[in-house]
Amino acid sequence: MRMWRRFFGHWQGWLGLLLVGSFLALAVFAPHLAPPSDPDHPSDFKVVGRKTDQIPHPPNDLSPLGTASGQFDIFYSVVWGTRSALRFGLIVAGSAAVMGVLVGAVSGYAGGRGSALTLRFTDAFLAFPVIAGVWLFQSIMFPSAIGADPTPLMAFLAESNITPVMVALIAFSWMPYARLINTGITRLKMADFVLASQSLGAGRRRLIFRHLVPNSISPAIVLLARDIGGMVILEAAFVFIGLSSGGPWAEMLVNNRNWVIGIAGNPLTYWWVYLPPTIALILFGISWNLLGDGLNDALNPRDR
Amino acid sequence: MPPLLKYIARRLLLVPITLIIITLTLYGFAMLVPAEQRAQLYWPSNLSPDQMTAEQEQKIVERIVHQRGLNDPFPVQYLNWLGNMLRGEWGWSPNLRVPVLDYLQRRIPVTLELTLFAMLLFIPLGIVSGVIASLRHRGRVDHGFRATAFVATSIPPFILGLMMISVFYVGLRWFAPGRLSSDIEILVKSPAFHAYTGLVTIDGLLNGRLDVTKDALLHLAMPVIVVAALPWATVARVTRAGMIEESGKEYAIAAQARGVSQRSIVWRHTLRNTLSPVLTASALSTATLVTGIYVVEIIFNLKGVSEMLTGAARFTALDVAAALGFAVYSALLVLVIMLLLDILQAVFDPRLRERIDA
Repeated sequence: MRMWRRFFGHWQGWLGLLLVGSFLALAVFAPHLAPPSDPDHPSDFKVVGRKTDQIPHPPNDLSPLGTASGQFDIFYSVVWGTRSALRFGLIVAGSAAVMGVLVGAVSGYAGGRGSALTLRFTDAFLAFPVIAGVWLFQSIMFPSAIGADPTPLMAFLAESNITPVMVALIAFSWMPYARLINTGITRLKMADFVLASQSLGAGRRRLIFRHLVPNSISPAIVLLARDIGGMVILEAAFVFIGLSSGGPWAEMLVNNRNWVIGIAGNPLTYWWVYLPPTIALILFGISWNLLGDGLNDALNPRDR
Repeated sequence: MPPLLKYIARRLLLVPITLIIITLTLYGFAMLVPAEQRAQLYWPSNLSPDQMTAEQEQKIVERIVHQRGLNDPFPVQYLNWLGNMLRGEWGWSPNLRVPVLDYLQRRIPVTLELTLFAMLLFIPLGIVSGVIASLRHRGRVDHGFRATAFVATSIPPFILGLMMISVFYVGLRWFAPGRLSSDIEILVKSPAFHAYTGLVTIDGLLNGRLDVTKDALLHLAMPVIVVAALPWATVARVTRAGMIEESGKEYAIAAQARGVSQRSIVWRHTLRNTLSPVLTASALSTATLVTGIYVVEIIFNLKGVSEMLTGAARFTALDVAAALGFAVYSALLVLVIMLLLDILQAVFDPRLRERIDA
């Protein structure tokens, strides 16, 4: 109970929860808020009007936030974009967290040389810029590019819509989790309650997953909340520089970039083509950050 | 040997270890690609496939696969490749039609210049603004600072860059994109202008051509600000938090009681104890900094190391040599920056140097 009071004690906590909740609601009720043209196979984009019309139209009755070049409905894609953003953020940050927690837990429990070696690996990965990893995975993961039969792993990844960017981000973002858990477990290993449980005959697995991990996980949860927003923004940056394809928010920004830069004098002339997805992206990042701050207040009160 | 040198020597030893771990992982991933594609990594740099027929090329590929043992077990292949890299043979990029290392080497000055000025901006500015915010703890300045830092961390760099371009380049026309104005560029490429370092700002000074330096700085201003925004917020936040904590400690209160001036307490005592965690935080986020630099380079059309990404990634042909070379080169860049930050930290923090002797 005290934990929740601390969570709602600062404005960061409840505002973050409110914003994240709104994004979740947008994603769940997307079919009602922005009905797709084909309800059985909803796509990320919807055309209202003539597709050959290259001039973006300002907000009107047909499209609440106007249309982009080619008459793509902005509102529709902003709403449906929450789905892919949430999916991307949760899968990538979640997998990275699980991987990092496992590495950190096992190495922290093993201690000694094993722990030192793992930490060396972790630090080496920390010195690697993720953008290069994205490119590397981009080039090795596509069977079509290789011209060979896909291996079972690649076929599975392609089938479940796991993109190279996701794999790269997971492979190069687990390190902070491993460090946090490793430190936590190393500190807790000799605590009385752990020794007591051990002397009662608790096995290794029980010690790690029932006692050590739950008691050192809270900083990792805070980091996870912040990472979910961060990953989506990173993906958008990679899409923007042409390194990959991505969710509707980023695609909208890329496809319409000329309407931002190309108009001499006043960048606000075609504000509706780029401001909605931009604001959606920034708000998405901020809301998870605020939620992380709130969780930090609740879970690590001494950090304040 | 003075402790600082000893520290540097020990720290230098870590670089190859880290590099071995990184390259092991990278080559492990590259093993997922058919051996014929990995032949790019050993393509002789004096032999361009452009003048060859497809059959000739195929023959050379087969010879490389055979000679270099590209179907051998992983450890053998890895050591072969590592040796090749150490000899400066980084392979041939089929998309860019150039040797990989050549391509990267020619573009590193642009990236280094951006990195250098961004660091010269965000480290001092972050420290000073963090100190000022901590002195006005919970005051109006502090709140303003926290809001600015929040905005700087929340706006994705590529969106900030886009906004800057639309306001300052297109709207106000204060700056122009690219690295140099066209007339200055012609001058820099002419034989009269001697390229000492490749960094145009410094070369301009060395050549006594202040107009070149000024032009380069004007072109750098916006990209540097976009790159520096996020790390500035990190440095300033850590400084602020550290300063608030240190100023409550007994030594600081004792100094105050002895009548030491506020200025002296802050700049000579508490700040020195705060700098160490600040530099650690910067060193840990170096990889993020480099990713940010690449993104900004691409958005502002500065043709730095990241040009390889935009140049080669768009093509469909599998380009292991370019992707792998780019990855190793980027890791090297990160390691060099981290090393510098660590050495800087040891200069400020005697505890780091002395610990090795003990």
